[in-house]
Amino acid sequence: MTPKASGKQEEKIIDTTRQAVPFNTGNIPGPKMARAVMPAISGKMLAKAKRPILIVGSEIDDPDVLERVVALGKAGIQIASVGDSYKYLGDKGLDAHYVNMHALASYLCDPEWPGLDGKGGYDLVVFFGITYYYASQAISALKNFSRMKVISIDKYYHPNADMSFGNLRKDVFIEALDEVIEQLPNKNSR
Amino acid sequence: MTLKKGSFIIEELENVQINIGKVGAKEEEIPEGPTPRPEIIGLRNWDNCIIDRYNPVYTPTADTCDYCTYGKCDLTGNKEGACGIDLEGQSARQALLISIMGSACHSAHGRHLLNYLIKKYGEDFPIDVGPSNLKAPLTETIMGITPKTIGDFIPVLEYVEEQLTQLIAATNTGQEGSSRDFESKALHAGMLDLLGMEVADIIQISCLGFPKSDEKAPLAEIGMGILDPKKPVVICVGHNIAAPAYILDFMDKNGQFDKIEIAGLCCTAHDMTRYNKTAKIIGSMSKELKYIRSGIPDVLVTDEQCVRADILKEAQKLHIPVIATNEKIMYGLPDRTNDSVDAIIEDLVSGKQQGVLLLDFEKVGELVPKLAMKMGPIRKAKGLTALPDDKEFKLLVAKCTKCLQCTKDCPQSLPISDAMAAAVNGDLSLFEILHDKCVGCGRCDYSCPSGIPVLNVIEKASQRVIREEKGKMRIGRGQIGDPEIREEGRNLVLGTTPGVLAFVGCGNYPDGTKDVYDIVEEMIQRSYIIISSGCSAMDIGMFKDKDGKTLYERYPGRFVKGNLLNTGSCVSNAHIAATTIKVASIFAGRKTKGNWEEIADYVLNRVGAVGIAWGAYSQKAFAIGTGCNRLGIPVVVGPHGTKYRRAFIGKPYKKENWNVLDGRDGSVVNVEPAPEHLMITAETKNEVMPLLAKLCFRPSDNSLGRAIKLTHYIELSEKYMKKLPDDWHIYVRSEADLPVAKREPLMKLLEEKGWKIDWEKKKIIEGPLRKVDVSFQPTNVSRLCKEAKK
Ligand code: SF4
Ligand code: SF4
Repeated sequence: MTPKASGKQEEKIIDTTRQAVPFNTGNIPGPKMARAVMPAISGKMLAKAKRPILIVGSEIDDPDVLERVVALGKAGIQIASVGDSYKYLGDKGLDAHYVNMHALASYLCDPEWPGLDGKGGYDLVVFFGITYYYASQAISALKNFSRMKVISIDKYYHPNADMSFGNLRKDVFIEALDEVIEQLPNKNSR
Repeated sequence: MTLKKGSFIIEELENVQINIGKVGAKEEEIPEGPTPRPEIIGLRNWDNCIIDRYNPVYTPTADTCDYCTYGKCDLTGNKEGACGIDLEGQSARQALLISIMGSACHSAHGRHLLNYLIKKYGEDFPIDVGPSNLKAPLTETIMGITPKTIGDFIPVLEYVEEQLTQLIAATNTGQEGSSRDFESKALHAGMLDLLGMEVADIIQISCLGFPKSDEKAPLAEIGMGILDPKKPVVICVGHNIAAPAYILDFMDKNGQFDKIEIAGLCCTAHDMTRYNKTAKIIGSMSKELKYIRSGIPDVLVTDEQCVRADILKEAQKLHIPVIATNEKIMYGLPDRTNDSVDAIIEDLVSGKQQGVLLLDFEKVGELVPKLAMKMGPIRKAKGLTALPDDKEFKLLVAKCTKCLQCTKDCPQSLPISDAMAAAVNGDLSLFEILHDKCVGCGRCDYSCPSGIPVLNVIEKASQRVIREEKGKMRIGRGQIGDPEIREEGRNLVLGTTPGVLAFVGCGNYPDGTKDVYDIVEEMIQRSYIIISSGCSAMDIGMFKDKDGKTLYERYPGRFVKGNLLNTGSCVSNAHIAATTIKVASIFAGRKTKGNWEEIADYVLNRVGAVGIAWGAYSQKAFAIGTGCNRLGIPVVVGPHGTKYRRAFIGKPYKKENWNVLDGRDGSVVNVEPAPEHLMITAETKNEVMPLLAKLCFRPSDNSLGRAIKLTHYIELSEKYMKKLPDDWHIYVRSEADLPVAKREPLMKLLEEKGWKIDWEKKKIIEGPLRKVDVSFQPTNVSRLCKEAKK
């Protein structure tokens, strides 16, 4: 179970919009950089999306982070498991598919891509837990060559996403993920 | 009168100059293919064929363009800039520029060597690369000529230089606008890069006595811990052997190898050991700053390429004189080429000058050992080092405020503050781990607001592991000889040798140098042929097994399955690409001269060779990769490779992209995606291993070969990704393609996918994309089909 029980109104509100500067200092792509958002916004967008996809990568090995990936997967979100992250997810009964991140970025820019399960493309990309610079570069393809909405719910500020958290401490990051999960209609399936 | 090559003027005809080229009867060079000396447009159809299947994928690092004064233009979302170029075009233009830079770097290296070696040995000095008839495969395939002497390479480099000038012209604002044509040009630049490298390495192998296709080349010592710091130490940094060769000769002549330690950093080190096996290797470019700051070098000699821009600044702090020996890197130093050796030494020892530019190699050869003998005792008496002592170290690590600024500036995002905290409690183990992952860039020093010289702290903390850093590397062998190709070509084309994996490129690994060792060890045990070059070849030799043996000591160096070959320095990469041409020519009898498209088509469809540039950082590595792509060789780059901004990625779900022709009758055959990509990255070593195995599939594999390749693909995926690959069944054409040990369970899985199985006969009845056909001649070039020829 995640540490935060649902419906606890009195809990302190975390602010994920602070420190909204590229985590790698030099990673400034241009005039358009991600809007820093609170987790409830990301969560609501994820809840509203008809066919979202969650991309996670090799940095989900931390048990606290992995627990949230599983929770998101159990809430019915299909997972694109990039890097070697599948090894953490394969036995969890999720709709998770291995795909190479660079190839995925290319496919997501192609309106004819039938998706990871052959059921069509996606309307929202959400990601976290991927090597920072690798994710940042890969999603620059989506930013510039697709109409895809991209939300980072990573602990790093990702300028190439449409929306992102700022750079977060681990405890705040975990809490932010919980708040995202909190918005999902099927959150209790976990 | 005998006419010699050169120019002369006839008396009383002052305005008439007669140029004599090659003198004497020379056999007619008849190109065998349609594109000798291809111009920019020459291979455009082939490039388009590649690009149609392997679509360029752009991952810009900047959404703006500031190349001309119309700008800076915002191209975000693929908008057009003031000149009309959109972000896709701009990204492709950058791919071209990066390829040109890399290509020019190698070709200029070749030009420097060619001018120098012709001056020293004459144009008629014969080419000798070992037991091969096909001595210069890339030159033959691109130029349509068979060079016999080093002078025969003059028109080759002239061609490269002319083409590069044309390509650079296309990058000016208001020139090319199509991303596809930029990519075709980038592929052209990549091909030129392979050619320039081949020239550079063949002439140095021929003239300087380097190993010639020597599978038993001796081992050289490698590592930061190999030198005796009590002796005077000379370190040569860069890529060009010309100057270091004179130093080695002088030391040899004067019996100084037991008095002075001499070693190289980056590819100069490779070529120093090829020239004189007494030389040693410190390591890749990642070790430059680390080694200089250790204070061990007493003299630094620089030449060209992969030499840090701050070497002079760093050396000055430790009173290490720098001798720059190449016009490409002069550091603003005074040109002392015409001064006496003794006068220069006096000024350097006294500190009057911190370094000099010295372009006379004879003088370099004499000066450097003499200077080292003087500087060594002086520097050692002073104990000069940038590393803190024990007391300072304790104070420095205690200063860390855990602000994480260093991690944010670190290209590897290393957890430095955790290591600082552990060190406060006397635990240095986290720093020791960082030492291997750190690429030695020094960015953290600039970023720390508490003024901690972070890299020096890492290095101080890692002294125990640095002292142990003593590996072995087999000295660069040069080309793969024709006899080896004859022996192995068939296995490669039929797939019974699962593939050739070429470990190339630099040391910008995502998770430390150990990754390369681990990947090589896994793949070589699976009988892949491993060929290496450059910094990867060095790093492969840095680690030992439990018996204290490096991979070079465990595996022989012949071009057969389960062997580990080192071709040599960066320019020796050419031989790796050229090996695929040799397979096409020697094994399959394809004509080479002026016949790039046919050769590349053969390689793409039939030769299971893949390049891995796991730590590629430089423009040169990108150019090499792009050249390999034009030759039909897929390349995988580490995650930093996304910053090259362009990849060539296949779309397996687009069935129509995977049509090839059958050379026998021109019929169209829809094949499995093999190879699936031409240039792609992977995030981790676990991900890259099954990917490498997959990229070795070729439409020409016979069933035994396909079963072997499939076995490795499945096993590697299960071992490192904990899953059966999703697409394994795509590569099954009949039950004979299935790994023998798993045939039945896999057939059950196929049945679950809707395939029809005859369980009695244990045969697949229905399901595969196509049948196995041992006579199938896959090609993407219609003129090569028999029907088309009629
Ligand atoms: S020197 Fe090493 S630790 Fe410092 S920023 Fe560079 S890679 Fe990171
Ligand atoms: S920048 Fe300096 S103070 Fe900040 S975490 Fe790094 S070493 Fe510590």
